[in-house]
Amino acid sequence: MTGCRVEVCPDPFDPWQQLALWGGDEAAAAIFIGRVRPTTTDGRPLEALELEHFPGLCERQITAMAQRLQQEHRAGPILVLHRVGRLAPGEPIVLVAVQADRRGAAQRCSAALLEQLKHQAPFWKREWCAGQGTWLVANTPL
Amino acid sequence: MDVVLKVLLFASLRERAGWAERSLPFTPGVSTAREVWNQLDLGPLEGISVAVNQELVGANQPLQAGDELAFLPPFTGG
Repeated sequence: MTGCRVEVCPDPFDPWQQLALWGGDEAAAAIFIGRVRPTTTDGRPLEALELEHFPGLCERQITAMAQRLQQEHRAGPILVLHRVGRLAPGEPIVLVAVQADRRGAAQRCSAALLEQLKHQAPFWKREWCAGQGTWLVANTPL
Repeated sequence: MDVVLKVLLFASLRERAGWAERSLPFTPGVSTAREVWNQLDLGPLEGISVAVNQELVGANQPLQAGDELAFLPPFTGG
């Protein structure tokens, strides 16, 4: 099985539960879970992080990224879950999991996919702090 | 029924314009995304991505009757 499952989730998800449901039996699996950090990009306490996407286009773009990298790295099944909506600090925002026959393929494909998601995925983020929302113009460094 | 284009704005662009979706009259053979953008009077098109029927395209692609045209501010990433 070499499918790419990509979902943009308007509701909270439990990454560990989702991984258990995903299953799979390849020899190697690389997993990344990202959570909302508690401060804004300029260091103030974060009230919430809001994510917006263009339904349809967003899922297709991420699926295309995952399929390209899966081929490039000869990886197996890929799972990407990404939140949208208003998230509190500490909430899971992204889950990327890649299975492969070897650890190198799983880890390299997972890292490359995460970087493409962080820099090229069609999301817009707004930080909320003290009741004020600010649209972000760039993502956090590696 | 009049032939129209559906125009969508997202995120900061939507808030700058004060609207999310609008139907504009379509004139066959003369419309591109760039021309529609210029009619909207929302500033320069630089840095804005264009999607027609949910596919990213260049701003000079000719439009067809009934197309859904979306203007997307720079992506922040996931």
